[in-house]
Amino acid sequence: MTVSRPSSKRRTRPTPTAGVGRAAPPWRTLAVFLAPAFILYTIFLVFPLAQALFFSLFEWKGSARGSFVGLQNFATLFGRFPLNEQLPRALMHNSIFFVVTMIIQVSLGLLFAVLLQREFRGRQFFRTVYVLPFMISPLVVGYVWSLILNPTFGPVNATLRSLGLDGLARPWLGDPSTAFPTIMLVNVWFWLGFPMLLFAAGLAAIPEDFAEAAQVDGANRWQVFRHVTFPLLIPVFGTVTVLTFIRSFNVFGLVWSLGGVDGGPVGTTDVLGLLFYRTAFRGGVDAFGVASALAVIMFAVIFGAAIVFRWWFHRLEGGLT
Amino acid sequence: MTAGATSLRRRSRSRRTPAGAAISVLLWGYAVVVIAPLMLVVFNSMRPTREIFRDPIALPGSINLDSYVTAWNEASFSTYFWNSLFITVASVVLATATSVMAAYVLGRYRFRGSSVLAIFFLSGLLLPFRLAILPLFLLLQNLGLVDTRAGLILVYAATGIPFSVFILSAYFRQLPGELTEAARIDGANEFVIFGRVMFPLVRPALATVAVFQFVPLWNDFFFPLVLLRSSEKWTLPVGMTRFFGEFQTDWSTLFAGILITTLPLVALFLVATKQIIAGLTAGVGKI
Amino acid sequence: MRPHDTRHRLWLPALIAVLALVAAACSGGATDTTSAAGSTATTQAGGATTTTGGSTAGTEAPMEDVTLTVWSWRPEDEDAYTEIFDAYEAANPGVTVEFVPFVNTDYNNILSTGLTGEGGPDVVQLRAYGGVQPLIEAGQLVPLDGEISTLSNFTDGALKVSTGLKDGRIYGVPFAYQAFAVFYNKAIFDSLGLSEPTTWDEWTNILDTLKGAGYIPISVPAKDPDTWMLAIIHDTIGAPRYGGQEFEKEILAGETDFTDPDYVASIALMNDLLPYLPDDVVGVGYQDSKTLFITEAAAMFIGGSFEIGFWRDNAPDLDLGVFAVPAPPDSLAPSSTVGWMDGSFGVNANSDHVEEAKKLVEWMGSQEFGQLFTEKIKQLSPIPGTSPEDPLLAEFGELYNASPVSYLDLVNFRFGDPRGDVLLREGIVKMWLGQATPEEVAQMVQDGISQWFTPGG
Repeated sequence: MTVSRPSSKRRTRPTPTAGVGRAAPPWRTLAVFLAPAFILYTIFLVFPLAQALFFSLFEWKGSARGSFVGLQNFATLFGRFPLNEQLPRALMHNSIFFVVTMIIQVSLGLLFAVLLQREFRGRQFFRTVYVLPFMISPLVVGYVWSLILNPTFGPVNATLRSLGLDGLARPWLGDPSTAFPTIMLVNVWFWLGFPMLLFAAGLAAIPEDFAEAAQVDGANRWQVFRHVTFPLLIPVFGTVTVLTFIRSFNVFGLVWSLGGVDGGPVGTTDVLGLLFYRTAFRGGVDAFGVASALAVIMFAVIFGAAIVFRWWFHRLEGGLT
Repeated sequence: MTAGATSLRRRSRSRRTPAGAAISVLLWGYAVVVIAPLMLVVFNSMRPTREIFRDPIALPGSINLDSYVTAWNEASFSTYFWNSLFITVASVVLATATSVMAAYVLGRYRFRGSSVLAIFFLSGLLLPFRLAILPLFLLLQNLGLVDTRAGLILVYAATGIPFSVFILSAYFRQLPGELTEAARIDGANEFVIFGRVMFPLVRPALATVAVFQFVPLWNDFFFPLVLLRSSEKWTLPVGMTRFFGEFQTDWSTLFAGILITTLPLVALFLVATKQIIAGLTAGVGKI
Repeated sequence: MRPHDTRHRLWLPALIAVLALVAAACSGGATDTTSAAGSTATTQAGGATTTTGGSTAGTEAPMEDVTLTVWSWRPEDEDAYTEIFDAYEAANPGVTVEFVPFVNTDYNNILSTGLTGEGGPDVVQLRAYGGVQPLIEAGQLVPLDGEISTLSNFTDGALKVSTGLKDGRIYGVPFAYQAFAVFYNKAIFDSLGLSEPTTWDEWTNILDTLKGAGYIPISVPAKDPDTWMLAIIHDTIGAPRYGGQEFEKEILAGETDFTDPDYVASIALMNDLLPYLPDDVVGVGYQDSKTLFITEAAAMFIGGSFEIGFWRDNAPDLDLGVFAVPAPPDSLAPSSTVGWMDGSFGVNANSDHVEEAKKLVEWMGSQEFGQLFTEKIKQLSPIPGTSPEDPLLAEFGELYNASPVSYLDLVNFRFGDPRGDVLLREGIVKMWLGQATPEEVAQMVQDGISQWFTPGG
């Protein structure tokens, strides 16, 4: 429950969340608000997903379900070579993907959001342009960037060579040491507009009074940012973090079109989404069962982490008001 | 107007200072990084496929819009366009309308089960929807909704709900309560408070949520491919998959198709950002 | 947290779990019934008309107007098949055939839902060998042996492409076979005084001469996802070294495995090839490798007979020839040409028009279809009596029939997971990156397939 606390050093500020904490309306009213979304969502998403996870307990012949086999598919997942090596490896890649993406995307996204806060003539242009990549299908993004980074025909290497930097002109997507970082950078390029817009909305929601009050207190611009703006952006950070996490662990289309279905040069760009795709649609006759087991694992990991993040950010939020 | 002392101080600094110049360089630099790859798509859509095979990256010799004509006519893009529009708009409207109501109570009130419900809604985001294609197909089949636009819309709307509820409830949570207090004192019930007071305030978030649902649905080829059998119901991305052969691709038409598919999204975004700005300048913070 | 909350928190997940279980049981049942019906149909012998949803019974009944849909993974063939089916429609009034292609990469996906329930295709283009087994075991295809007369046009080897591993029945009519050999640019060869090699020394000489003259001797893709050619190229060059058809027999009988020293030596040959491939070959994609060839930056391209259509459309002025790689030193078998059946056409067990579909598929095993196929789609037809128009394609056929060898991993090692071809091609890339030795690659392949492969089967 958020309560406004008088701070000893700074002026008391009204909390933006003053509405929450009030007694909830009666159940009937709540039900009216919740029911449509709840019903639609449960029938058309939750049931099918739950079933998909449930499938992991059965043996499959193609797309026909066989008998109940308990945890056998999980045993296969953890026992069959090379699947048992690819699973932890993919998990690690997704984790790295998340951390790196968060760092770059948050810094750049916040930077651009701040730079584009003030009114100036070109602002709408820049905002639109930066979000543009997101409007394009990930498969196309992947194709276009493969072309640009193409070692033989692409402009990047052509430019490097014409500048005499032949040594730097490598097969960006084919070299095991550069493939994954490259893909992560392209992902930031693709998705940057979204956190940027969220930060912009968050920044815009901060009332001017707070900053003005702090300035009257003698704070300089950086201190204002650090002590006023930044803490009030925590909720947005929370949202961005959770969404980035979910995306990082589900990413598929972009990595597929840049790195290929087997996870790039010798598996260096393999992620859980690709692993799932391969297992489900290229595996043997029992593919569906094993792929469903993988889905259960993915769900458990992502669910657990999302809960932790959410709880953590709520604590942070509560502690700072 | 925009908020924050950062803007107060910054406004006074002109763009001609070194810091201002550096910022300009940064902004324009990144804009180039965004636009250049996209120009590749535009250029290649104006070159014949055979030329693209021989020389993947080059300026078009002449402006040739044949591939656009091919895409629109032969590849039935005109039909697919309207399908995409109808299906995506309906899905986004359905998802957003149901979500904003649910998000309102989840964001503004704490009640028994509200945490669980919030997590419940969030959990739908956690897995890629492809996973559920077989059960979804069977479900729609049992409901007689395979190969219907309605079936696809219901599925799409359901997939949009977790994201919308998540964002909107966070946004609702941080709205100040003074307005609702005032309305309550005036004797308004919950529905009135929601409709008259809260809903208008949430416009920027609604626009954001709508855009970010719209784009992936518009670009999705997988669900329509599996759930819609009749080709006259297909959407633009499905139409484009026909250009991908097993061993060779009709690049020129494909690129034209990509542009036809992407431009409406850009237009949508421009409209939506106007909404977002309008909402922001309605004085959220000035209470 | 109050105690109430804990109790309440559990009801929601519990409810969901229960409902999901119920729902899963219900729809799972639907799937089970389908497969049960399917398998009952498959175990019935002879020409009896059975299966779900069959309408007309017996071949004597008059045909009503019927539209048959044919699903395929080849969008590029749409125009050709439409013309081909025109011939069938002309001979069979009342029947319309609709060719519906899907993007290749998602075709397997689409089939897995498409063959379940209603509204699916009548005739299905089926993947080869291991690729078709999931559909067979799910009972989604109609067995055709004993029902389709034209199956007798094909050799047993050819029919292996659509034979069920467990029940031995045949589920599809093969439509094409592919062969792999070396395309070469005649103009470049002539300018350097080179000619088709007949010995390994001549082959090495060609490679060195081309490299010295500034050409890329061989254009090959090795960038994911275009690594699939690598296993085929390995067989193209190395099959004689490990013993070709004899080796295939022995490994299937369990008398040897992939760690056989001769097989390992064949893998090492790929290392010898590396200097003659494009720079940074791991970054060269399939499209790029073809561009290198048609822009004459590369003089040779090791590829399949299916490439001929592309060369003709996009580089009609190139004078191309083809030859088989001579046998390397210490070879156990003579120079050979790798080939495989590309797939087949089968009948959906859930189709509403099973009889008409079978009739269409029967026609697709006839010489008339085969000739139309090879002319319009420009690929090799396994039906005897068909002759390609394009001399280059005809030469492929001759090379293969003169000294055939199977693409080992496709034909025999795709029946389980992990697939042999996937393991091998990943191993070759690792080897080229210096991360594995030929022995380790062979061991990796062996470890992978030994998890499901039972010799003597």
